[in-house]
Amino acid sequence: MSEQTFLVLTALAEEPLHGYAIVQAVEQLSEGRMALRVGTLYGVLDRLVADGLAERDREEVHQGRLRRYYRLTDSGVRALQAEVARLSANVRAASAVLRARGLQPWASRA
Amino acid sequence: MRNLERRYRTLLRVLPRWYREDREEEMVGIFLAGRGDDLDLEHGWPGWGETGAVLGLAVRTHLAAGAGLTGVPVGAMWRGEVVRALGVIGLLLGVLGVGVSLAGMVYEAGHPELPGRDAVVVVVDLLPAVAFAALLAGKRTLAKSVAFAAAVPGLLAFGPQVGSWLMWQLPALVTFAALCLGFHREAPTPPAGRLAWWGGGALVLGLAGWVVPAAFVVVAALVVLRVVAFVRGDFVLGRALSLFAVLELGPVALLLAGGVRWWVVLVPAVLLVVSAVAPVRKPGFA
Repeated sequence: MSEQTFLVLTALAEEPLHGYAIVQAVEQLSEGRMALRVGTLYGVLDRLVADGLAERDREEVHQGRLRRYYRLTDSGVRALQAEVARLSANVRAASAVLRARGLQPWASRA
Repeated sequence: MRNLERRYRTLLRVLPRWYREDREEEMVGIFLAGRGDDLDLEHGWPGWGETGAVLGLAVRTHLAAGAGLTGVPVGAMWRGEVVRALGVIGLLLGVLGVGVSLAGMVYEAGHPELPGRDAVVVVVDLLPAVAFAALLAGKRTLAKSVAFAAAVPGLLAFGPQVGSWLMWQLPALVTFAALCLGFHREAPTPPAGRLAWWGGGALVLGLAGWVVPAAFVVVAALVVLRVVAFVRGDFVLGRALSLFAVLELGPVALLLAGGVRWWVVLVPAVLLVVSAVAPVRKPGFA
């Protein structure tokens, strides 16, 4: 699972979101590292919907513009849980290696 | 409508109509959500990053993979499958070339009086097989990179005779473009087991290409496969081979410049034209 897909799934895990809200949520979750382009966002959403991990929720008109909301399916929640477990295991393994070398797992940012 | 919105809508026209009809309003809403400044709305333009992402989305939707999107029209799925098949055919052509090179190396090994090949040439000659294996292994970025590296010598052979160069290189260039465009992120990995047999066949044919001109071997294989595709109602393979037959007309015509008699060239040329224009059967898309 790519980081983009992971962050979009994470953004949708809290509540159904429309496209622009997903872009903002991904930027916040990644602490500004990832600015999701619209073309990229729809590539990710298309794949999630096709794989049954997300689905269309509802549509609203906000200031004359269409907003289509997307939400996570049960399969999407399970996929996110599995990915979190996989990443957590990797983090634990890497942390153990660093501690064994007498280093802190999380270096302070410059 | 403000100028910026008009420019975004113009940009979105690169997407297929079926996709635009469903998504255009939603996408325009997101594009404009972050750009409320009056001056920007009048004089602003879509950024390069957004433009690139939309172009990428356009490739993925125009050459749709059945599993990657929902509500894809059958025509778009067929187009995608044909382009992917053309990309694979290009790699098979490269594997056939590897067979020719291997046969040449074996011959040269038995004749010490002949000058040996440079190690770099040997490696470059074998690259198409690596690209093919990488695609079968699902490493499509590696496959594209290696296929590009294999194409570099041909590209560097660009000289004053542009027409001849283009005729000779066109099959490799077009099939490489098909490989890059067709095997996008959502595209499925081709069935490795079946294609491994195809690769083995191409390699064996390449060994035969040491005895007779490889162009003739390619034409013969193409015609046989074209007939098989028609009989089996394999629309994707049939259409991809039709396109490939058009591309192969150039290299076959260049045999004339190589001193081959015109009537010897005429036969494969006619076979290629027939392969290109012959009908393809179009069963229901599974």
